[in-house]
Amino acid sequence: MRPTRRDIFKGAAAGLAGSRLAFSEARQLPHGRADACIYIWLGGGAGHIDTFDPKRRGDGKDIPGSYYDAIPTAARDIQLCEHLPRLADRMDRCALLRTVSHDLNSQHGAASNLMHTGRKPSGTIIYPSVGSLVSHELGAKSDDVPSYVVMGYPNIMRDPGFLGARCGYVYLTQIETGPSGLNPAPDVDSARQKRREMLLGRLRADYLARNDDDALVRAKAEVSEQGFRMAGKRFMDVFHLDRESTSLREAYGSEFGQRCLLARRLVQAGVRFVEVSFNLNFLNGTGWDVHQDGILKQHLLIQDLDQAVAALLDDLEEHKLFDRTMVVISTEFGRPAEFDAYGGRGHQAGAFSTLFAGGGVRGGVAVGTTDEIGKRIVDRQITVPDYFATIFAAMGIDSAKNLYANDRPVPITDHGQPMSGILA
Amino acid sequence: MLAFLVFATGSLGLLSATDQPVTVRIFEDLGEGAWLDPQGDPTTEYSESGFAFVRIPARFSGNALPLDRSVPFSLEASMEQTLERGEYRIRLRSKGLAVFLVDGKPVLRTKAQVPNTASHDALPEPSESDGVIRPAPPAHQDVLATVPLEAGEHRFRLVAVIGGKGLAPFPGELSVSMARPGEIDRVIGGSDAPLLTDTDWSEFATASRFRHHRDDIERRRQSDESVEAKWEERHRQVREWTLSQPGPEIPRVEDSEWIQNDVDRFVYEGLAEASLVPNALVGDLEFLRRLALDTTGLVPSATMVRSFLAQPAETRRTLAIEQFLESPDWADSWVPYWQDVLAENPGILKPDLNNTGPFRWYIHQAFADGYAFDRLVVELIEMEGSLYQGGPAGFGMASLNDAPMAAKADIVSQAFLANKLSCARCHDAPFHPFRQKDLFSMAAMLDGDAVVLPASSTVPVREGGREPYVEITLEAGASIDPHWAFDEFPDVGKLAPPPRNTSVDARHVLASKMVHPANHRFSRVVANRVWARFMGRGIVEPLDDWEDAEPSNPELLEFLAREFVLSGYDLKHLSGLIFRSHTYQRRPVRDDPASPGEAAKLFAGPVRRQMSAEQLVDSLHAVAGKGLDSEELNLNPLGNRSLRQFLNMGSPERAWEMTALSNERDRPSLALPRAQAIVDMLSAYGWRQSRQSPASSRDDSPSAMQALALANGSTGVRVTRLSDDSFFTRLALEERPLGEMVDEVFVRTLTRFPTPAERQAMLDLLGPHFADRVATGAADHRSGDAAKKTDGRVSWGNHFDPESNRIRMEEERKVRMGDPPTTRLTPEFRERFEDMVWALVNTPEFSMIP
Repeated sequence: MRPTRRDIFKGAAAGLAGSRLAFSEARQLPHGRADACIYIWLGGGAGHIDTFDPKRRGDGKDIPGSYYDAIPTAARDIQLCEHLPRLADRMDRCALLRTVSHDLNSQHGAASNLMHTGRKPSGTIIYPSVGSLVSHELGAKSDDVPSYVVMGYPNIMRDPGFLGARCGYVYLTQIETGPSGLNPAPDVDSARQKRREMLLGRLRADYLARNDDDALVRAKAEVSEQGFRMAGKRFMDVFHLDRESTSLREAYGSEFGQRCLLARRLVQAGVRFVEVSFNLNFLNGTGWDVHQDGILKQHLLIQDLDQAVAALLDDLEEHKLFDRTMVVISTEFGRPAEFDAYGGRGHQAGAFSTLFAGGGVRGGVAVGTTDEIGKRIVDRQITVPDYFATIFAAMGIDSAKNLYANDRPVPITDHGQPMSGILA
Repeated sequence: MLAFLVFATGSLGLLSATDQPVTVRIFEDLGEGAWLDPQGDPTTEYSESGFAFVRIPARFSGNALPLDRSVPFSLEASMEQTLERGEYRIRLRSKGLAVFLVDGKPVLRTKAQVPNTASHDALPEPSESDGVIRPAPPAHQDVLATVPLEAGEHRFRLVAVIGGKGLAPFPGELSVSMARPGEIDRVIGGSDAPLLTDTDWSEFATASRFRHHRDDIERRRQSDESVEAKWEERHRQVREWTLSQPGPEIPRVEDSEWIQNDVDRFVYEGLAEASLVPNALVGDLEFLRRLALDTTGLVPSATMVRSFLAQPAETRRTLAIEQFLESPDWADSWVPYWQDVLAENPGILKPDLNNTGPFRWYIHQAFADGYAFDRLVVELIEMEGSLYQGGPAGFGMASLNDAPMAAKADIVSQAFLANKLSCARCHDAPFHPFRQKDLFSMAAMLDGDAVVLPASSTVPVREGGREPYVEITLEAGASIDPHWAFDEFPDVGKLAPPPRNTSVDARHVLASKMVHPANHRFSRVVANRVWARFMGRGIVEPLDDWEDAEPSNPELLEFLAREFVLSGYDLKHLSGLIFRSHTYQRRPVRDDPASPGEAAKLFAGPVRRQMSAEQLVDSLHAVAGKGLDSEELNLNPLGNRSLRQFLNMGSPERAWEMTALSNERDRPSLALPRAQAIVDMLSAYGWRQSRQSPASSRDDSPSAMQALALANGSTGVRVTRLSDDSFFTRLALEERPLGEMVDEVFVRTLTRFPTPAERQAMLDLLGPHFADRVATGAADHRSGDAAKKTDGRVSWGNHFDPESNRIRMEEERKVRMGDPPTTRLTPEFRERFEDMVWALVNTPEFSMIP
């Protein structure tokens, strides 16, 4: 039998991977011990200079610089913006990546896509999101829960791309309405659901009996059973935040905080990857995209983020989940030290900050240095592929592994290398 | 004519065509000074019943291609009217620059609309209503003047500038109305002109849109007649030449019980060689359901089922095939397929990678107007007509792509030649005889000029890095000339060239080569695609890449391709041939479609299929008798941004009209909650919300999310809810025995009658509550359905306003609640009836194609 294309590619790839393995053994590629990830998404472009990479103060007009004062943190030599006091106290458990860098400055959509897939779109295949990749590699921890949950709007950057619908996500846009498709309609109580399933069970059994040798029909019946298990009480209870103490719910704070609390409960239930989109745009009008007067109340966003993430880190520790759960704070780009005509800020993709914590991430470190106004990188550029390679390494996933889009081999990251100094 | 099947057609109240006193003329490409005083020849002239404009006629080229009008364009409307002496209050309502003249004297003016640039506007205040006059919609200006007029004839003239730089070219609710003291404003016009009240205006707007839609189609078909004749002449010549060429020999099959037509003979021979026998035929109703889904994308209505059964058993299948092939939904059934294959990918929020224009409308037009398939291919490749409003030029667009024509060359080549050139985008294709040059020379043909290989279209070889396992023969910056990289075709004698649309020579050459009668690859690839659509699997697989593939029945493929060419590239002819065969009408092969055995590859019967995402969504709504009720797919309803940045995709009636909702920004104010509910269901079943690249098959294998989307998702909830607008509510209120109702529901959902046990189970469920099912004193609430209201003020320009977020989040919550349940039935009965419907659409039988 002549070899298929995939065989040939696999051979080539295996040879490649082999040499890589030898290389990594020699160099001891870092790896973490996370088995789940909470990916906090600050959509709009959170300004590093006003959060994780504070610099000298600007004046909101002509003199470029931070909008707020800097404060010391639990980590020596690391400062944060004054509106992040709780995270400052926990910096010994967090790693800052201060020189993440790419060149998609103008388009939110394109940059957001890059910070979810690790690649610029090629037009010939659609790259999967980090959540779908993790879901593909690790699956859910249990059969009865989905592996990938999004709190935010469904869109292409979160999609499974060439990995296919099986690596897709369950999503919710509001905690109170619950995940789309999972919970029964609001007017269907459990007695009614039981009646429905009994009627359906009878129809389905007859149909299966007439078609029991049909592979597609059997597959359909099986996944539908699995779906109903997922929609069952055990998993749906995860969404009932009122099972938590009032004091804990208050510690998390705003609705974004409640999303973070839900993320912890989802991870606890066996979900591998939870994306939590920051959803408090109404606090300042623009969310993190602080053009014009959006900057006036930006501190409210920062304070909210501080409270929610600090609570999340503590809560994960409390539940002994911190060491196995990687928390990432990510965004599509940062913002420049200069101000626009109305006192707000434009976009800056050339240097910006993200944060890692938990899952074996070393605390109290800041990787990379920007210049005195956070504009240029003076030490250690972090490429987007390396950034993603480090997340995969933390989760024990080989970032050079080839996946297949039909016959075409596609490595999980675009030649990314896990960064040294971040994973313990 | 349709003897027994009744297809749904619009039955809206139409304005009579005779009473159209207002003459309207459209002027384009005017200099700014002439906008309000247009001179010269109008590009379109038509009439209206009054000074009220909700839709402007589409414009077509001489070859019936839709065109974009210039932005802006001027609309001039005029009429004479005889009035009594007195004071008249006149109201001009317009989004943009307009002037209204009485007897040549300007009496009212509105200002130009201000384009939005920074999206930080405040949400407009809600319009205040005086309880009588329909309030001016958001972004509209109302200006009033009271004018004394003498008795006698007066001349009214309106000039309005539609769209402009940074503005969308839509008239909104442009109108001029008039009232005597103490009267209600009435639109100036004929006797049936509407009052400016909510009720009158809504009725008028619906009827006017419908009339324009119908007139557009009629004008399109008129402009098509001469080009159609040219195609017919060419097809005659093609047929003549093809008949002079040897065709495949039709196998003789002794055992005639297996045979309905020649398709069966080829298939039987293939099976016999492998010592296999064909499957048995499916039952009549299973056949009808399969046929209806394949030709209309919908399950058959209960009326169709009854009419079908009323026909003699020997002829009912053949008759049904004839009639379904003439269904107006035929076009709807084909659009989604070509959207995938041709990577139709319009975006509604600023261009993203590989966004195209919405050429879905052109594809629909081509099928609705019965274009031969070679014509569709030529017109697509020539890329003329409207870019943003549905013409083939939209196919030529690939936003943010640095080698757009290379992307198109790859699409064309996969779609019509089954040559996958994707790999050649960046290097020589590793498993194909193609070199990167071949792709780029076709790209150059589409471009009409040499193209330069962009640096992004190559594989960087890093210093000391790995040796790439692909070969690279072109360097970035290389220039490649237009050139047909494949074999030349033999001379076929006298052959009229395809009617030409483009001024780009190389494009026309490429189009002509593609549909050349000796281009057997083209006819085979298309015939194979049609076969695969209806039989669940191609004679050659994969459909878009034949390099490594062998046909499972080469003679059958050759036969189908030849039939296709002889018929003048008529997909209906080819489809009919397949539908009439016993092969199509057999029980499905029960192999897993992912790992088919010989019986599947040789077509002992069709390969098992699930409904496609579009078939499922459309069928669910049809079963419930509900429309999709999506919001208008437009994030710029105020119109103060350009069409280039914010396409307006209209209000979908069929699932293929949905589009990616593009809320990468995660902002509730940019959500379209009702559209999202439909998109969720479509996505779970394999529909691609972004079609950056072409695909000939979908990943729609069964998943837990599919089951859940149907069982619990908002669309599932909506279609199973007995609201006042549900078919099931009307049925349940009828004076009929319960058993009949149960039968009706089964026929409507599953195209069959219930078994005695199934009927009994439903009688047990519903019987105890049947006698008292009608609630007393409740009214039909359809018209006041608050759940379906969308606040038209929320628009890109104000989407940062916190109030915009709040409004959309509230709408999301309402969507999740589903349509309000009817109060005309008791909750006990209604809920049980809903549960029955729910069970019937959730059983796998509903979403499997029989």
